[in-house]
Amino acid sequence: MKGLASVISMEFRKILAYRSDFWVTFIGQTLIQLIVARSLWQSIFESNQVESMQGFDLNMITLYYLLVPIGTRILAGQNIGFLSREIYDGTFTRYLIYPVNVFVYKSTTYLTHSLFYCFQLFFIYLIYQIIFGGMTFHPEQLFLGVLIFFVASICYMFLCMMVELIALWADNVWTLMVMLKFFVTFFGGGIIPMDFFPLWSQKILALTPFPYLISLPVKTMMGLMPLNESITGIGVLIVWSCIFLGMLQLLWSKGQKSYTGVGI
Amino acid sequence: MIKVSNLSKSFAVYHKEPGLMGSLRGLFIRKSSIKYALHDVSLEVHPGEILGLIGANGAGKTTLVKILSGIMHPTSGEVSILGFKPWERSNQYRRQMSLIMGQKSQVWWDLPALDSFLLLKEIYQIDDETYQFNIDYLSKTLGIADHLKTQVRKLSLGERMKVELMAALLHNPKVIFLDEPTIGLDITSQKAVREFLKDYQRKYNPIMILTSHYMEDIKELCSRINIIRKGEMIYDGPLSHIQKLTGDTKHLKVTTKDGELEFTIPRENLAIKTKEIFESHEVIDLNIQDPSIEDIIDQILKHGLQKQ
Ligand SMILES: Nc1ncnc2c1ncn2[C@@H]1O[C@H](COP(=O)(O)OP(=O)(O)OP(=O)(O)O)[C@@H](O)[C@H]1O
Ligand SMILES: [Mg+2]
Repeated sequence: MKGLASVISMEFRKILAYRSDFWVTFIGQTLIQLIVARSLWQSIFESNQVESMQGFDLNMITLYYLLVPIGTRILAGQNIGFLSREIYDGTFTRYLIYPVNVFVYKSTTYLTHSLFYCFQLFFIYLIYQIIFGGMTFHPEQLFLGVLIFFVASICYMFLCMMVELIALWADNVWTLMVMLKFFVTFFGGGIIPMDFFPLWSQKILALTPFPYLISLPVKTMMGLMPLNESITGIGVLIVWSCIFLGMLQLLWSKGQKSYTGVGI
Repeated sequence: MIKVSNLSKSFAVYHKEPGLMGSLRGLFIRKSSIKYALHDVSLEVHPGEILGLIGANGAGKTTLVKILSGIMHPTSGEVSILGFKPWERSNQYRRQMSLIMGQKSQVWWDLPALDSFLLLKEIYQIDDETYQFNIDYLSKTLGIADHLKTQVRKLSLGERMKVELMAALLHNPKVIFLDEPTIGLDITSQKAVREFLKDYQRKYNPIMILTSHYMEDIKELCSRINIIRKGEMIYDGPLSHIQKLTGDTKHLKVTTKDGELEFTIPRENLAIKTKEIFESHEVIDLNIQDPSIEDIIDQILKHGLQKQ
């Protein structure tokens, strides 16, 4: 337990070691994404001469696009390659030599990053409330939404770890990871809110983990989700997490036999 | 102790024709062959012993170390170290083992060494007293106390190597693998690392396996050596016995009016050969020596163990 605490503490120190980098991505990405989305949707609204679409007015949609980028960063935890790059260059051997479980260690560092972004999300949401404040503020929505994001990041982490582990057999899984990220963002409602998807596709997607990863927590934060659906969503995420974890273990039990410590 | 019996490791090697067409063809058909990096290797190492592994590039030294440290599964054969199978990676084994690689850093680059050490303290569950003692002892003997608060990636190669050594020894391992620990270091640092290892060995009596391409390391540190050639172990014994292996030869250095000549010849031919030389050249200086360890090793690595 104390071991985990020091892993977390060290990961925080690493994040802070690159703090300028951290602020640039935080402010830069968020602002750019926000401005692009707002102007785009503004013109869509104007050309259709409507005040709202699928229950979103312009302020709502702005909030949506404010929350999505930070939300996806909570999901993504560490950068792409947090396992595959280390497998590729041999750093990975470290976790085989130290008396630690590599997945416990890696999950801890991953979720430390996620936690960090959770704080950012709180912060952003509060700033939005202070500046625009149009809606009445519901702290319980905020907390539930952030909680769902955190659970979702666990689920997405296991999925990522599976794909990253393919590096045990193939040299380059970067492309796969980028594709995975795109699929999750697109089918999770990160590019266009899911309400704009045709109904049949929404029904199909509900059978996959995607909508629970982005759309659910964002809409929970915005108060667009009934409480029971949010709670059920957490259950669904937990089930998917268990499935991915099982597959991950299977993959690792095969893969570790073929690991050759390349790069050292 | 370490006991290795009939250990083999093979890799599937995929052949790709060079060029774009080759790459495209490789998408559909991959020719592969089996390559043995280790073949039927057996050895034993006892506590207090430093075993030196010698072999040309690609001989299989690192492969052996990777298997013994549990990074890699072997293709066949058995290994028992302190009663453990390394590749099962039980925490009990890993708490008593350490691997130091001259080529690859294990400490965290983005952080000062002390931060890494603190994490290792938790990972290995080292108690406060031992930790403080080891930090003091190691940083003092390695002479690196001043560098422990600098980000590791900003240290020089030699300083980083010393940090690696510290990190690897904080938990007083009973089994230590060193894969080219002195690679790329200047003469002074090489010497410092050697002196340190010797001191450490005397103090803690661990089992050590060391690979190095610097004969000086081997001469100074290893009581016993193993020579690996193309994955096979061809010699196991003290370094001092190695001269007998290649037969009794002498090294002849002749300075003549036309320049320098060198010969390596069997001892029994020495008289005849010198006579020949004196008859056919105008000799200014003649020097007869036993061949150096370096020469012998070089011969063995090139040609194997057949007597010349
Ligand atoms: N992951 C791998 N896949 C395929 N072949 C490998 C792999 N690792 C090593 N080999 C091959 O196995 C052989 C032994 O390699 P190894 O790294 O053990 O050599 P070494 O004795 O440590 O050499 P060096 O002195 O250059 O470090 C080499 O021919 C190498 O090409
Ligand atoms: Mg090597």
